[in-house]
Amino acid sequence: MKYFYVGATADLRTDTDREALTALRGRVGEEFGLPVRAIELPAIDFTFDAARGQYASSAALDLLVRETPPDAAKLLAVTTRDLFIPVLTFVFGQAQLNGRVGIVSLARLRQEFYTLPPDGAVFLDRAVKEALHESGHLFGLIHCADRGCAMSLSTGVRQIDIKQPAFCGPCQGRIRRPSRGESQ
Amino acid sequence: MNTHWQILVVDDEEVMCESLAAWLREDGYHVDTACSGRDAVEKARAKDYAIYFVDLKMPGGMDGIETMMQIRRLHPDASIIIITAYATVDTAITAIKEGAQEYIVKPCNPEEISMLVSRILKVKRLQRENTILRKKLSRQYSFHDVVSKNPRMHAVLELAQEISSLRSTVLIQGESGTGKEMVARAIHYSGDRAANPFIAVSCAALAETLLESELFGHEKGAFTGASAQKRGKFELADSGTIFLDEIGDISPKLQCDLLRVLQERSFYRVGGSEEVRVDARVIAATHVDLRQAVAEGKFREDLFYRLNVIEIRIPPLRERREDVPLLARHFLERLSHELGKDAGDFSDGAMKVLMDHNWPGNVRELENAVERAIVTCHGRVLTEDDFGFLAQNGARKPWSIPAGMTLQDMEKQMIVATLERTEGNIKEAAGVLGIDRSTMYEKIKRYEIPR
Repeated sequence: MKYFYVGATADLRTDTDREALTALRGRVGEEFGLPVRAIELPAIDFTFDAARGQYASSAALDLLVRETPPDAAKLLAVTTRDLFIPVLTFVFGQAQLNGRVGIVSLARLRQEFYTLPPDGAVFLDRAVKEALHESGHLFGLIHCADRGCAMSLSTGVRQIDIKQPAFCGPCQGRIRRPSRGESQ
Repeated sequence: MNTHWQILVVDDEEVMCESLAAWLREDGYHVDTACSGRDAVEKARAKDYAIYFVDLKMPGGMDGIETMMQIRRLHPDASIIIITAYATVDTAITAIKEGAQEYIVKPCNPEEISMLVSRILKVKRLQRENTILRKKLSRQYSFHDVVSKNPRMHAVLELAQEISSLRSTVLIQGESGTGKEMVARAIHYSGDRAANPFIAVSCAALAETLLESELFGHEKGAFTGASAQKRGKFELADSGTIFLDEIGDISPKLQCDLLRVLQERSFYRVGGSEEVRVDARVIAATHVDLRQAVAEGKFREDLFYRLNVIEIRIPPLRERREDVPLLARHFLERLSHELGKDAGDFSDGAMKVLMDHNWPGNVRELENAVERAIVTCHGRVLTEDDFGFLAQNGARKPWSIPAGMTLQDMEKQMIVATLERTEGNIKEAAGVLGIDRSTMYEKIKRYEIPR
């Protein structure tokens, strides 16, 4: 039997973060039909770029590949660190397209990041949507033109807020679930 | 949605290259990477990309600007985005002056790149659509545009419409100028491949070796002058239709290659070892009698049967004279508009000249004759004088009557010849001869003409 591992990196400490982790773990579990397992992952502090004050997501993915348990079909990590790739100012997350590992950052999903008063419900909703989005990439989905679909590209939180915490019909149909042979 | 757009990311830093490529792949683009300017130019030579992301500062004597200039030499319309971490006004100006479409400073906002890419592709999509629409505008492709009231032409069009959505190979036979390509286009554009390409190739126009690389493409270095990989017409026609005109003229080697494509639906590019699979419907056309060519050993029998799955024969214009006035008026209307002239009708004398002419060049000749008359005419009505050139170069040969022939012999021969032309259709033959059907039956019986 193969599992979909969903776990936090060592930096996840507050209750709201833990709550978000539980919520998104439940949601991806019901969406992809693979049994979900929890996992504790190491910190990604070594990927810190002092000049940018952010963490390199590609290096974080390399770490996750090494941390993937042998019985894992997929591994999704959740971090509070603000992630980037060199050419972009930030990324909400990154995943290997149709691969094994992905990572979601909670840093920019909080209202506080934009100097707004905290809102737990909004934060939770965004975390679930972005976890679904990166997991979608892990299962072979590419960006969707439907603004309401979880697979639509979000370059800001407003776009995350517009979309639903679910895939549109065509994306549903395109999910590449591991075949029986692979998952057992 | 974006899967057919190809992007090349060029940077000497692997992590920068790979992370941008991965980010773009999530959008559905097909992305390749190159680790130096030289590598990028090599890749651009082998493949044309929709967008190039090129880092400005690269070691090894070839920076982003030089790389861009070399890529633009290969693909003048390439959309190149220069990326730099060290923005100065000077480099920005140089980049734009040398033809960069955009200049971005890293790190840049994800939204900025995403919008930039979709803006460039939107323009490319519109350019492509525009090219297709222009072509459609200049040539109408539907069956409604085939002008005819001849029953045999109607049968041809009916058959063509019926088979338009099938994948079966079609062989169109007809004299030069009868509209074989027009029928082929009409088949393509009324079938379910209409949204995909229709690629026409004249097999008579090119030498054997040229035709081979034209049809199947070639790999880089396959022969002297093959400086880049080139896709052949079969590949371009993938999921669409390939129209092979003058198929009777191809060499025995190409006949063999073509047979393989028809049987296997795959081929090798010239100088290539990788099998290329295609799904192209083949419509072939010829003015020569292929059965005759097979009998004489000039054309492979197996290829003939592969091509001749559905046979369409277009009758020459002289066998459907009733279409002459119809076609002449159609061309007059279209051409006088295109040429900006005011010609609007034919005089009775002019029409008689057109009806009496033998039209060895068929509909194309008629179209050209009308065009020439419009250009040289002085009034609104085209007269027989405007068609004087037809009498000089294309007059019908006087009909010679063998000595000792009776009137009855003549009548019998005429009925036999007309029935041959109408492929045994008695009603039609009676119409052509100007008698009614019962009289026709009576004469067939009297002269014991086999049916």
